[in-house]
Amino acid sequence: MYRLAARRTELGLLIPILLLVPLGVAVTNIAQSGLAEPGPLAVAVVFVGLMLGAHLVLAWSGHRGDELLLPAVAAMGALGIVMLNRLPQDLAGNPAFNLGMVGTQLVWFGIGLAAMLVVAIGVRDDGFLRHYKYSWGLLAAALLVVTLLFGAEVNGARLWIVIGPFGFQPSEAIKVMLVVFLAGYLAENRAVLAGASLRLGPVKLPPIPYLAPMLVVFAAVMLVVVVSRDLGTALLFFGVFLTMLFVATGRRAYVLFGSVLFVVGAGVAYLLFPHVQERIDTWIDPWADPNGSGYQAVQAIYAFARGGLLGEGLGQGLPLVDGRLPIPAVHTDMIFAAIGEELGLLGGVAMLGLVAVIMTRGLRIAVLARDDFSTMLATGLAAGLVLQSLIIMGGNLKVVPLTGITLPFVSYGGSSLLASFVVVGLLLSISHRSIEADQAESAELPEPAQPEMHAG
Amino acid sequence: MIASHLPRLGTAMLAGFAVLALAMSWWQVVLASPLEARPDNPALIAAHRSEPRGTIFDTNGTVLASTTVVDGIARRAYADPASTHLVGYASLRYGTSGIERAWDELLVGLRDPNPLHDVVNDVLQRPLQPHDVVLTVDARLQSFAAAQLAGSVGAIVALDPTTGAVLAMTSSPTFDATLISGEPRDAEAPWSALQQDPGAPFVDRARNGIYVPGSVMKVVTAAAALDAGAITPQTTFPTQPQEEVSGLVVSGFTITEHDLAGVQPALWDLSPAMQISSNIYFAHVGLELGQGRYLAGASAFGFCEDLRIGPMDHALLVSASSVTAIADAGCEGFVDDAELASAAFGQARVTATPLQMALVAATIANQGVMLNPFVVREVRVPDPSGTLGQVTASYGSPGRRTVVSPQTAEAVRAVMVDAVHGPLGAPYAGAANVANYGIGGVQTAGKTGTAQRGGDVPPHSWFIGFSAAQPGATPSIAVAIIVEGAGPGSATAAPIGGRVMAEWLRLIGS
Repeated sequence: MYRLAARRTELGLLIPILLLVPLGVAVTNIAQSGLAEPGPLAVAVVFVGLMLGAHLVLAWSGHRGDELLLPAVAAMGALGIVMLNRLPQDLAGNPAFNLGMVGTQLVWFGIGLAAMLVVAIGVRDDGFLRHYKYSWGLLAAALLVVTLLFGAEVNGARLWIVIGPFGFQPSEAIKVMLVVFLAGYLAENRAVLAGASLRLGPVKLPPIPYLAPMLVVFAAVMLVVVVSRDLGTALLFFGVFLTMLFVATGRRAYVLFGSVLFVVGAGVAYLLFPHVQERIDTWIDPWADPNGSGYQAVQAIYAFARGGLLGEGLGQGLPLVDGRLPIPAVHTDMIFAAIGEELGLLGGVAMLGLVAVIMTRGLRIAVLARDDFSTMLATGLAAGLVLQSLIIMGGNLKVVPLTGITLPFVSYGGSSLLASFVVVGLLLSISHRSIEADQAESAELPEPAQPEMHAG
Repeated sequence: MIASHLPRLGTAMLAGFAVLALAMSWWQVVLASPLEARPDNPALIAAHRSEPRGTIFDTNGTVLASTTVVDGIARRAYADPASTHLVGYASLRYGTSGIERAWDELLVGLRDPNPLHDVVNDVLQRPLQPHDVVLTVDARLQSFAAAQLAGSVGAIVALDPTTGAVLAMTSSPTFDATLISGEPRDAEAPWSALQQDPGAPFVDRARNGIYVPGSVMKVVTAAAALDAGAITPQTTFPTQPQEEVSGLVVSGFTITEHDLAGVQPALWDLSPAMQISSNIYFAHVGLELGQGRYLAGASAFGFCEDLRIGPMDHALLVSASSVTAIADAGCEGFVDDAELASAAFGQARVTATPLQMALVAATIANQGVMLNPFVVREVRVPDPSGTLGQVTASYGSPGRRTVVSPQTAEAVRAVMVDAVHGPLGAPYAGAANVANYGIGGVQTAGKTGTAQRGGDVPPHSWFIGFSAAQPGATPSIAVAIIVEGAGPGSATAAPIGGRVMAEWLRLIGS
């Protein structure tokens, strides 16, 4: 019983957040059908049960990891579930199981939370990550190659591997493996990389043997742009790469140099590849072809405009045009536009706030981590989640070109949920180990003397 | 130490959050209302889909556009392609145009003609009340005019000179707006066919067709020169008969006369010069008038500015006509006297819309006073029976301006009557005489134009005029007709002008 009462902060935050789920489901149900029906509440009950269950398992296992991560994730997930429940259920879902969209998503929440728990509680030693960094890197590269060669094309991007009734997006797994590899490599070689022995005109570079793996990563990212036509993932990979490089070396020149390389590479891709051109042109002026290539971007902007400050209200936005939703990918890439419409500027900023919470907790875990590898790993994982959120939100808002990546914990999609929960699990694990180690150290030290109070 | 770089990373990422929050505010607050009003906004389209939409009537209560709701989908039907450009379309797929666009909010019922009602309706959460719109045009004259243009490219504008009411306004080629206004999916094929049509049927040539006016511009030149005192009706230019043969050299540029078809040059004053449409005579008039006064005179008629067809709070825009190159605010000055002299007979860089030239004719007809045009007469509450309901707002001309003195207008009227009825004029504009079309006892004033476009391209055929035009009569119609590439004004535009005016006199006489 003592253990179940642990992690009180987490429980205290989870309860009000989870109460919003049945409320949100009921509100959308009433807004859409005019009736308060008990049926859709099952969705809320399952979601609340899953989240509370995950909390209880963490508490029961005596987990000491960060207590704000899970509530932030639960809040994002809650908004996602409420939105998905309100959309037509035939938008997605695996027909083999006949669960509909929100049912399938709930199954993935269950699988994801289970994976998170296994990783958070099970990973007591990160040796298998640290020592086999090159293996992880090679595995990531192999997966990338397999996807590029055998992947199925959806919406002009080659992102999926389909086996029988199951399909998954390897880029989500590749993202995690890439972070593991980079964390291992950078933690080991950061001193060499931070120093600079090679001079190329005004640019100081590290020695070639240490530079090479970096260039390989860069080449792989550009390969993603060119072959898989997946701008968003490329941008995400490269952003994570530069972020970790900066944290490892503290040299802004790398970031600058890398960004220039990326822009030049993107520029070349723009000139050579029509699909990249179309994406960029659509980004610059979606109204040039508002019924064709610019359709989705234009509709997203209209959705934001309709939302205004306070939003149309849950379940009251997204007017059907021609019997269709105005935004085809509203359940995946464009879910932030739907949130902006129904919950307004306030809801959108709240969503930004939740991502910011994940960022600050992730960076905090990185700061408190006991060794360079853990710091780099936590930084990379948190940066992955945050950059992914910023890139797709920015794409919805026309700040960056619109790309086909998910909003973590909110968008529909199993691969993304699973990978994101594994990331949270790893963060929790790092956090747990650093706190345990702190406690062990302080237990070895003699009891500190009570400071004496001196009057006047 | 690695951890020391993390705060800087946090700051950089926060900057990213700030950018997104600003972008959200930009779309959701700053640009929210302009975006909401855009016609391709799906929320507006969805509202239009199922909502009733007010009927558009002609001046006699004939239905021009009406909506029936079938299976929850509003279907807009248009009675006559003759009115397509004026009435416009309200397409669920492609937004709105014309009256449908300018009066969209009232037709849908988002606004009431009385702003106070808007506040009350908003507070009481009343459902939308679509309004009907009654135009000034007569559907019979619209069809008649459109039939005159059938198979050719051009436009006809007919105005009531004494009220400013648009009696007819039609553009050719036209199309059936019903095809693009029904089920959105079914609208796509006809829409792309129309867009690819080399005849550009979407263009409203009456409002937005910008043409070289040719000799119809001489009416403006004569009015400006008479009003400024630069000439009198008796003014002659002694060198003119010789120049009819040798040409008139201005700023090193030789102006030549058009083919006079056997008429011997003489020392003409204004009336024969107008009848024969002498370029040399009007070049002299332009030079007498000078650049400043010519520009001022043309501007008084409405040149060098965007025009609007009222009522002003829901105006239809009309492209600007010009006498020189267009500058940011109105017309630039003339390059030299050669340009001025050519502009005086409607060539060089003079361009005009059919509506602008109809206003010129109407102004002369109305003793020098231009009534700003308007095309919506009333807004009404729909009557359940589908006929005209209770009037909630009525409109007249949105304003008037004195362009030239009554004496000037009278002098120009007299020479325009000569241009139709006189011995020298009849071969040119005689075909516009309404007597040719069964209307006796009234005179017709008019002027043809044969607008040269350079090279071997056939000229545009122009006519402007009004009737009844005898002294003391009240003119009831002023017209402008252009038929693109149809040759001399006398051959095509003048007879069409005569028929349209005769038809109107017949309609109001019965």
